[in-house]
This record gives sequence, structure tokens and C-alpha cells, in this order.
Amino acid sequence: MDKSTIVCRCEEINIDEIENALKNGAQTFDDIKRLTRTGMGSCQSKVCLHPVREIIADYHNKDLQDVGISRMRIPLKPIRMGTLATESKDSNVASVFGESVEEGDENR
Amino acid sequence: MRIDKTHDVIIVGSGVVGSSIAYHLSERKKHSILLIDKGFPLSGTSGSTQAWVWVHSKVPSWYGELSLYSAELYPFLERKIGDVEYKRTGGIAPFFTEAEKEKALKLAEKQAEVGIDIEVLSRDEVLEKEPYLSPNIAGATFSKIDGNVNPFRLVELYIKSAKKNDVQTSFYNQVISIQKNGDIFHLETLKGTFKTKKLVIAGGPWSKELGEMLNVNIPIKQVRGQILITEPLQPFLKHTIGGVRQADNGEVLIGYSKEEVGYDRRTTLDIVQQTAKMAIDFIPHLRRANVVRSFAGIRVIPLDGFPIIGEIPEVEGAYIAAMHSGVTLSPLVGTLLTELLIDGETSIDLSRYSLERFNESNIKSI
Repeated sequence: MDKSTIVCRCEEINIDEIENALKNGAQTFDDIKRLTRTGMGSCQSKVCLHPVREIIADYHNKDLQDVGISRMRIPLKPIRMGTLATESKDSNVASVFGESVEEGDENR
Repeated sequence: MRIDKTHDVIIVGSGVVGSSIAYHLSERKKHSILLIDKGFPLSGTSGSTQAWVWVHSKVPSWYGELSLYSAELYPFLERKIGDVEYKRTGGIAPFFTEAEKEKALKLAEKQAEVGIDIEVLSRDEVLEKEPYLSPNIAGATFSKIDGNVNPFRLVELYIKSAKKNDVQTSFYNQVISIQKNGDIFHLETLKGTFKTKKLVIAGGPWSKELGEMLNVNIPIKQVRGQILITEPLQPFLKHTIGGVRQADNGEVLIGYSKEEVGYDRRTTLDIVQQTAKMAIDFIPHLRRANVVRSFAGIRVIPLDGFPIIGEIPEVEGAYIAAMHSGVTLSPLVGTLLTELLIDGETSIDLSRYSLERFNESNIKSI
């Protein structure tokens, strides 16, 4: 395959860019992801995960089964913000302004 | 790398703070420097942040002032290490009740004393700046100084620039123990023993364990933050908003949660739902946006909330840099640690930020 072959279609990342991250010491899918944005787009690595694992396996001379997958996170497929919010009760989420005022009140 | 070599400085932790210190030290070309990390750059806290460069609501004003100086260094830093996508968007911190307006005015007055310009905006003035913010807000504080940066580019370019200046790196290499023999620190690691004259602990939330290796208590706690990311949306937010920002690629990042759950980096449905509610409370139109991902990072929060920067008093030759707002403060902290290590004194008085302030005798005397 040509080095310019696109592996991550969402973020348009090619083989050369992934190999470059490996040359810089990246070992896992997520190491490569944070350097190149591979897998950060709308499909969340559903398309590029296995091609990238193969490139990692080749580069490190490992078996494919010894190369881990990316970290999966909620939601596994896109979901409307409004749908996510419907069940929400009390909050652990703070307000930047409220917090500033609270700390300022301590008169340090 | 020759393992029997004694480095001048070893920095443990290659997040935004450690890599900035490595880069700024290397600019002076005086030291042989090793940057060491148990993982890979960006695998920890610095790779899981909204990366605001945030100043205006940092209180008390002396802490705001420190943040201001650091934000002011960003344009200069970018000319040296390359494009880190720093954008001084201006920052808006909305409030939702009229009663908070008095407090906002007081904040503006206090911060003006150190040169941080804050405008207290009415509801209509906020909506003029950001038409998609909720009409339910009562107003906001606004400052031109706030902004954001791409944390991936920032850490990558700190390290690349440091390497150009001959900093050596050793990643995926956990430090197991630290001994001091005479003036020399011996770091036992997964990849052998490394020796150094000076040691900088920049392990973020993991600094606590590193401190224990020196029998020093680093008074910090671990706080998880969870953040949501939307699909790319038309550019519609111009400013960095306390809790929300839109990246150049159209994705909106939302989150301001705080939980003390140790090093557990999972995202959890309850916080994800609360964050979604916050998103809609702030920006009602986000109700129809798709969420594509959540992520979580472990922040380091010193017990009194303020950065710990400087010498470790009990251990000569050892230094600490642990703070919550590492992205905002990294250009300044890298500069100050460089001054401290090379010149022995800093251009900004760091006594307020010393580890010593936590000593019991000092706490009693306050």
C-alpha cells in the first residue's frame, strides 16, 4: 500500500502519519490518536481501528492479537444532547463563576 | 543512552508542566536533561482537558495575576515552538441570578487591582456577544484575556522543541524508587537506574506517589473531570465560555464536573447526563446536537487550591511543580523553574506557592 493511503477517513490521516507517530515512540492506538487525531472523528475509530492495529503490529513486529483496541467511551454511537439530558437529576457540575465567587469570599 | 551518566536535571512527568519545564530549561543550553514518564505524552491529565487558558475568575487576585502573566506569554511561546492553536477568544463566565451581579462587580473591582480587565455584562450585552447563550442567564463576567489552546499540539511541540535542544526522553518508563546518595539522586526505573544532580517532580496527580519516594508529603488530591464532545457544528460560539468551548473543527466541548474518585478515569452515565443538562442550560440549541464522545481526566488539586511551585524544603536539589491549571500556567511555570534551577532566584516571588506553606508550624502561625 502507498504511504499516502488514508486510514482514518473522518480525520484524513494516512499511513505515513501513523508510522511517523510510531517512530516518535507511540505504542498504542490511543498514543497515535492523540498525536494525529486518528479515530477522533465522527466514527470514533470504528472504521480505522483495525487497519491502525495492523500497522502497529507490523511496526512493532507483534501479533495482531497482542495489539489492544482504543478506549471506548459513552456514547458508543452518537446520541442527541436532549436525549442524554432527560434523566439528569442533581448535579456534580459546578459553575465557573459561582466557584470563583465562593473562593473569593474566603478572603484569602 | 548511557545509563551510568549523571544528568544535571531529571524531570519526572511529561505532561504540559513537565514538558514545558524541559523545554524552557533546554533553551538555556546549560544542562543535560532527561524527561521521564510512566506513560506516553498526553496519556494522562494533559491529554484530557478542555485546555482553556483562563484568567479572569481566578481568585484571589494574586492567583489571577499569576495566570495573567502566563496567558501573556502564550503569543511569544508560539513564535518559539510553533503553532499550538492558541486563541485569545475572550472569556465569558455566565451567572444566572441578579443577586450574583453584585459579586461580579466586586470580582471586577478586585481583579482590576492586578491589571485584569473584567466587564460585567447585562443579559442583553452577553447575548449580543454570544447570541446562542441561554436567555435565562442574568449576565456574565467577560474578559478579553481568556482563551484556549490545542493541548495535543502544545505538549507535542514542547517535547519536540526540547528534543531539538538535546533533551533526552524516556517514555513508558515508570519510576519505582528514588534514593539520594550524597548530592546525587538515583532513580530506579523499569528501564534501569538513572542518576541526576537535580530532580523535578511534575507528575500531576501522580506527584503524590513520587513525593512518597522522597518521604515528602505532596498535599494534593485527585479530582475527576468529565467532558462531552459534540459532532462538528457550524461555527457559532466565538468565546471561551466557563464550561463550554467550540474547537476550530466545529466540535463543542462541554464540562465542569468534579468528583473525588482517586485515579478512576471512567466516564459515568450520571455525570454525562448532568453535563448534557448543563450544556442545554447554557446553550438551548445544543439540545439537538449529537454527542459523539465523552472523556475523563484526573486533575491534580492542591489541598488549598493553589499551585505548588519551587524547592522541596526537606530535600536539597529536589523541586516540585504541581497545579490544577497546568495548561494556563505552563509557559510561566516553565520559565520560573528554569530561573530557579539556573539562576537560583525567580523574577516573580514564589513564596506564596512554596510547599512549605503546608507545614504544620506554618499553618499554625497564619
